[in-house]
Amino acid sequence: MSIMEIKQVGYSYDNKKKVLKGVNAEMEQGKLYAILGPSGCGKTTLLSLIGGLDSPGSGQIYFDGQDIAKTGLSDHRKNHVAFIFQAYNLIDYLTPAENVSLTSKLPPLPILERLGLTKEEAKRNVLKLSGGQQQRVAIARALASEAPVILADEPTGNLDEDTAQDITEILKESAHKINKCVVVVTHSNELAKQADVVFRLKKGELQVLERVQDGAAQPQSRRNNTPRSERRAK
Amino acid sequence: MNLGIRAVLHTARKWKKTLLVFCLLLAITTLVLSGLAIADAQEEQAEEVRGTTGASFTVERNLSTGGWANDSDGTYSTQELITKDMIQKIASVEGITGYDASNGGVPTLYDEEGNNLSLSPDGFAYYAYGAYNSEFNSLFVSGRFELVEGSHITEDVTDGVILSRESVEKNGLKIGDKITGIINPEYNDPEVEMELIGVFDIVADKDDTINMYDASTYWDYNQYAFCSNSVMEALAVNYSDDGIERGFFYVEDAAQLDNVIKNVQHIDSINWDNFIITANDEVYQNISSALSDTGTLITTLIVVITAVSMVLIILILSMSIRSRKRETGILLAVGIAKPAVILQYVLETLLIAVVAFPLAYLSSKQVAGALGTLFGKAAENVIVTPEHFMLVAIVGGILLVAAVLVSSISTLRLKPKQILSQME
Repeated sequence: MSIMEIKQVGYSYDNKKKVLKGVNAEMEQGKLYAILGPSGCGKTTLLSLIGGLDSPGSGQIYFDGQDIAKTGLSDHRKNHVAFIFQAYNLIDYLTPAENVSLTSKLPPLPILERLGLTKEEAKRNVLKLSGGQQQRVAIARALASEAPVILADEPTGNLDEDTAQDITEILKESAHKINKCVVVVTHSNELAKQADVVFRLKKGELQVLERVQDGAAQPQSRRNNTPRSERRAK
Repeated sequence: MNLGIRAVLHTARKWKKTLLVFCLLLAITTLVLSGLAIADAQEEQAEEVRGTTGASFTVERNLSTGGWANDSDGTYSTQELITKDMIQKIASVEGITGYDASNGGVPTLYDEEGNNLSLSPDGFAYYAYGAYNSEFNSLFVSGRFELVEGSHITEDVTDGVILSRESVEKNGLKIGDKITGIINPEYNDPEVEMELIGVFDIVADKDDTINMYDASTYWDYNQYAFCSNSVMEALAVNYSDDGIERGFFYVEDAAQLDNVIKNVQHIDSINWDNFIITANDEVYQNISSALSDTGTLITTLIVVITAVSMVLIILILSMSIRSRKRETGILLAVGIAKPAVILQYVLETLLIAVVAFPLAYLSSKQVAGALGTLFGKAAENVIVTPEHFMLVAIVGGILLVAAVLVSSISTLRLKPKQILSQME
């Protein structure tokens, strides 16, 4: 059953440039979703709308069947979703452990250690960690929040190949082992290859790409892109 | 992690910012506390001046609304005179702490040997006030005359007289000497004996002749005399209209003079068309004007310091909060509500203030005295009180909260995505 449902979502910058035109999608827990698309096509905007960082110009976004605009975006951000940003976005005067504690009351050390940070590193200033370590802290913060949906915006964009592969594995495990719904906006075909479902955002419309044997994806028929609720209505 | 812990961690770990705001708050609060202490010292000084200077007003007949009559002695006013009852009613008005009422007369005075007391060879007469309480005569209250020897005439003294120092010295008189007065021997006016009980001097540059006579009568002040009212009544028995020409009323708090005069004018039993009230508060006005100028300067300085400081604080907090745009975006993105973010910033500022304000209280106790001397105040009179501290702490706290709110508005009006995308 889908946990996130996007229905006819439209969005334009300054009411002029329309970047999203009636986007529909459904996302389930336990799956890793990748959203591909050229720069400036609206991928990050779509992720922000799903995460309640902004409101769509038209259409609705549902979490567990509830319209997030009605239940409150702040509540949605606090309880339903967790973000991982390309620029890590950690609070610079807090240690990694304290950054993780921003979203959770659980002890932060076990999760940081699980993601490869030592106890000493967990107590260091975040800015003194490497990019990969900072991204692990950001992922730890997202996982610790216990939010069922993790939204990652170019999580491997600033990382070297090995670290990017590690992060991809962590995200995959988060979906498959911890039963999170992980949505990743990426340019990386390597990351997309690991995804269970790949969306392509093109000219404001979202297409689902079918997976082929070698891991590459190709467009699925538009019919399957219709939201489940609409299909039910039909 | 709750906002309190975040606030404490930010304050401690961003110590350079904390130190900057702390120093600014310490300096501002010290200056404002010192300013308040100086302003209070100023007010105390003004009150002291009001109390010591005092002021008076004169009630006299309004000759312009009365009629005129002629007899063999010439023209005289038929305007009603002030009665003792009127004097008592006026004197009972709240704020009046003393009074004098007098009739004027122009007796010729003689010493015990019968010599004419005069400052001029032609034996000019004296301009004499028949007084109840000479110390409240406007000439004394205004500071123009000063009693330099003996005592004033009071209601208990029935045969006293006060003369000028020049008159006393020129005629070889001393306190206790008997003096005889007569208004006009040709009309069989009675001779009245009196005793010299006091000597006054004219407080002015005596070489500047304009200070030495009454401009309305051209009478030399040295030839003024103050005698007991009963003496004047006896001297003028042939001319008496059974009334008083002038009443002098003393008000201890000079600043209340106008209010007291208004209350006097509300006494219905007196027909105020027939009387004129003149305020005698030149000394107070002169001192008060100087004090008021200093007071205005101090108040202006406090207002300017506070206003400039607030602008500075708002600017610094604005810059600080703007530099924390990313943090604001992150906090919002992880689901922390806007009010909680603002509250964290407010708390951080108040944490600094909690330390800065008490230290400013201590430092201002040292600084205020030194600053006070710049405004002509004795250092020991400039005291920073706990009340000043409470006022500054409460108002300062409110202004700081307002400053943080104002500084946060521009950032918090944006949606989290806008804040984060601005930082990319």
